[in-house]
Amino acid sequence: MMLQRVLTNLFSRPATRPFPRTSREPAVGYRGAVEFEQENCVFCGACSLRCPANAITVDRAAKRLTFDLFKCIHCACCAEACKRGCVQLRPAYHPPVYERPEFAFSGAPALPMEGEDREDLPR
Amino acid sequence: MSDRTVLPFGPQHPVLPEPIQLKLTLENETVVEAVPHIGYVHRGVEKAGERMDYTQNVFLVERICGICSFIHALCYCQGIERLMGVEVPPRARYLRVIWSELHRMQSHHLWLGLLADALGFESLFMQFWRNRERLMDIFEKTAGSRVIISTCTIGGVRRDIGPEDQQMIMQELEVLERALDEALEAILSDRTVKRRTVGKGVLSAEQALHLGAVGPVLRGSGVAVDARTEGFAAYADLGIEPVVETAGDAYARTRVRARECYQSLGLVRKAIEGLPDGEIAVRPRGRPDGRTISRVEQPRGELLYFIGADGSARLDRLRIRTPTFANVPALVAMLPGCEMADVPVITLSLDPCISCTER
Repeated sequence: MMLQRVLTNLFSRPATRPFPRTSREPAVGYRGAVEFEQENCVFCGACSLRCPANAITVDRAAKRLTFDLFKCIHCACCAEACKRGCVQLRPAYHPPVYERPEFAFSGAPALPMEGEDREDLPR
Repeated sequence: MSDRTVLPFGPQHPVLPEPIQLKLTLENETVVEAVPHIGYVHRGVEKAGERMDYTQNVFLVERICGICSFIHALCYCQGIERLMGVEVPPRARYLRVIWSELHRMQSHHLWLGLLADALGFESLFMQFWRNRERLMDIFEKTAGSRVIISTCTIGGVRRDIGPEDQQMIMQELEVLERALDEALEAILSDRTVKRRTVGKGVLSAEQALHLGAVGPVLRGSGVAVDARTEGFAAYADLGIEPVVETAGDAYARTRVRARECYQSLGLVRKAIEGLPDGEIAVRPRGRPDGRTISRVEQPRGELLYFIGADGSARLDRLRIRTPTFANVPALVAMLPGCEMADVPVITLSLDPCISCTER
């Protein structure tokens, strides 16, 4: 039994991958990199209200959204909360960073999407 | 009487993944008294639970323990659902069992590996952890995250397991079962492992009950208590028999966990085969009001939440009693009389989770 394991291990390849030569692709539904679609955002603040880690802050008056990657716990609550699908978690890893990244965008409220009236926009 | 020496065991010790200190009073090589000191990793989770929204707390309680995160969330959600009178759809209840049992399996794999490592059996440690990777991959594919899977929510679950993923789980479990047979044979029948575990840290059934031990520690002493028999989630439909060993030593506790791995395998298969169709979540209405106690079975034993709500978005009180906390008195009773060299193995035989204990 033990000998069998020794021989198997001796003649088989390692169970690990030779990273970084071969990297592992995350699974399809993996909750990875957080991405915002700036052009569709109406700064309603639904994502920031649902965020358990307070990683997203939305200033509705100034039309500005700030996202703190270091606070984010990748729970995908923001993606569930956003009715316009502006927040998505892509199956990819965030690259390592050397300093705290600041992500923010601001702008005019988006135009109505297809099949949406101006009044339907979340406020 | 010979001289007594007080020896601090921990908070940093190779066998302990997390910090706990045991002040051991030794007479030559024999332990006569053990005094535990905790408080090295207190994070104030209970207080934080009173400051966050009750829906956001699900993600907070998941972070109490990295090994059984789903089961923490399950316990919390079941408590809130009881307060709000939410009826969870059958499919969600089955999915909860699937993820809970997968978590139990990966936790036991982790522990069996750590035990092998504590005994100096490095190769077996790596085998267990390699097998555990399969379970972690299942989590990544089905839930979107490897450790803290965040799929449990108030009113159901957040993700469904489709037919393809069900098949993938079944295939992985097939491979896992074969690998488990091989690895468990090494740990359960090896002479060296037996010499280190048989008869070490004996806890009688009366002592275990009296000290309020839970989980494999209690069942290893011959007391058939398992919170899953209460039938929360879908356990009532699936049927469950507590795994019991009678010897009460470190070896018996190892056997309990080993057999529970097979039990979990069976439960996941049964749950996938009997998975009902339908909704995976209902939207809860209103806010929780009242007080309740929720209990579930974690890999380490019974987990208990006390939830006090006053009808607002924030909870009044969140009290968490984790299994390791209940098992510390049992550890203190086990240690006197043992050899100093056996202390690491006996301590490990509890499957201590100190971050859970201190919250």
